[in-house]
Amino acid sequence: MILARLALRNLLRQQRRTALTLMVVVAGFLALSLAGGFMAQTFQGLSDAAIRGGLGHLQVMPPGALEGDEAQSLEKALPEGEALAQRLRQDPAVAEVLPRTQFMGLLSNGPRSVAFLGTAVDPVLEPKYMACAEALQNGALTKGGTGSRWLSGDPAAREVILGTGLARALDASVGSSLTLMSTTREGALNAVDVEVAGLQDLGLRELNDRFLTVSLGTADQLLDSAQARSRLSVMLKRPQDTAMEQARLQGLLPGTSVKPWFELASFYRQVKLLYFAIFGFMGLVLFLVVLLATANTLLMSVMERVREFGVLRAMGLQPRQLLVLLQWEGAFLGFLGSALGLLATLLLRTGLNALHVQMPAPPGSSHGYELFIHFVPGIYLLVALGLQLTIQVSALFPGLKAARLRIVEALRHV
Amino acid sequence: MLEFRAITRAYELGGERAGVFGVSLTVPKGRLAVLAGPSGSGKTTLLQLAGLLDTPDEGEVRLAGELVSSLPEKARCDLRLRRLGFVFQAFNLVPVLSALENVMLPLQLQGRTEAEARERAEAALARVGLADRRHHHPGQLSGGQQQRTAIARALAPEPLLVLADEPTASLDHAHGGPLLDLMAELAQERGATFLVASHDPSVIARAHTVFRLLDGKLVEVG
Repeated sequence: MILARLALRNLLRQQRRTALTLMVVVAGFLALSLAGGFMAQTFQGLSDAAIRGGLGHLQVMPPGALEGDEAQSLEKALPEGEALAQRLRQDPAVAEVLPRTQFMGLLSNGPRSVAFLGTAVDPVLEPKYMACAEALQNGALTKGGTGSRWLSGDPAAREVILGTGLARALDASVGSSLTLMSTTREGALNAVDVEVAGLQDLGLRELNDRFLTVSLGTADQLLDSAQARSRLSVMLKRPQDTAMEQARLQGLLPGTSVKPWFELASFYRQVKLLYFAIFGFMGLVLFLVVLLATANTLLMSVMERVREFGVLRAMGLQPRQLLVLLQWEGAFLGFLGSALGLLATLLLRTGLNALHVQMPAPPGSSHGYELFIHFVPGIYLLVALGLQLTIQVSALFPGLKAARLRIVEALRHV
Repeated sequence: MLEFRAITRAYELGGERAGVFGVSLTVPKGRLAVLAGPSGSGKTTLLQLAGLLDTPDEGEVRLAGELVSSLPEKARCDLRLRRLGFVFQAFNLVPVLSALENVMLPLQLQGRTEAEARERAEAALARVGLADRRHHHPGQLSGGQQQRTAIARALAPEPLLVLADEPTASLDHAHGGPLLDLMAELAQERGATFLVASHDPSVIARAHTVFRLLDGKLVEVG
């Protein structure tokens, strides 16, 4: 402990230099932890969007459903999808099962027909678990969208919710009558007249131009799909157990493919990789700055204390104990810097969140979002450990320099 | 106590060969011995060899009968820590530590508990007359007080041999004399051996044994 005490006193000896070094550590901590909080917001937003956008926590689908173009037809579907959904609802880990049918076809207003990608959902369950309201609210603000509402729960109702671009292409608005055309499971052409219940703005132009939603009853009539369902979106009671439940349910459901949402949300994975690359590079630069700053401070400190080190060595201090002394100095710099950095992060985070800063719309999205820096203890710990490790490494060179001093020369040093 | 056998340690200084050459001498236990001679005579070199801070090119250094000059560095560190004490011309106290903490430092490095180190350090400071200054830092002490602190630091671990390099060179006569008297007293009182390098006549006058060096060779023992 005497070395630790000596190290602390040495740092206090050059207060201004120590303060400057601490500021570099604090700045590094602040930048990385705020970036981490921002990343957490982005990842959570994207994962929520993926899960509540229709994927659920798990998806049960036929094997090979993701290969080729068959995903949009009933040729590759769960033939007893509804029965399977009923069975899954009995599982204690499952909160709800939302069957979905994906299909494609043409949507016509008479003189004009436009190709669409459709999803059929349970009109009663879907709003309880999926994010339907926001897209409808945004759609209601567009031309022809006034009065937008969700699909009726009446099994006899034949309604559709259109993407805003699709509605624009067909000059359709809420209340318009259109005709859905597609092929049944057997390959016959079929058509169903539907009324536009609402317009939805899904945030991505490409989706708005092609996407529509109908009830499973409407799709069953159009596709003659009976019990068949393209996929089952499974909502879990404990989302944190997604990976574990995926493995368990896969074992329980042979002949199906059970996939977790994060394997299916390719956008989420791409953004995550991109963020990791950007912030990883930023982190590398910051760690390098901290490494150089602390190495410089400790090296200057060693150069000023050459004679003192000579005296300590003459008194019997082992070379490795000088290394330990410098490591203690680094340890105090790192610990104090991270503690102050954490304090600064919490204060700045609170301030930034209170400002309700509006961020611009991300690429491909049609609306912005409010900045919210998340509180992420795991990231703070990781940053603190990373900085500590960096500083300990930076203390190695000055420590080795001190340990290699020849005592007689050190004692002569002026 | 301390024995040099045909010691040679040569080095280049300003293009000329300097050091000590074939020196043999024995410092008896419990004595205040002085290495005397002009600058460049080899006093400090011998002191560094005695303190295991340097290694001879030829010859042997023995401490309490044990050959110590060829020991590995770790063993030399251990010997310096447990059996040797140092007093330097420029005092060389650790500036960030108080007088008490400076004296405690070698004791704590030996692995003694803080309480034991404090007790011994306080006693050592009291013995050199600095009990009331123990919480002062080196910058708050006069030169004489700093050197007395250094003596307390050297003596507190109860070494066999205390090595002092020009201990009065940074002090005026009024402070240097009493300091030497103190060292002589401590040598008698504790049975510790003092080997002092100095060309100060007042130091030489107080020595029990004087080894005179000239150009790196022992020329007289008195």
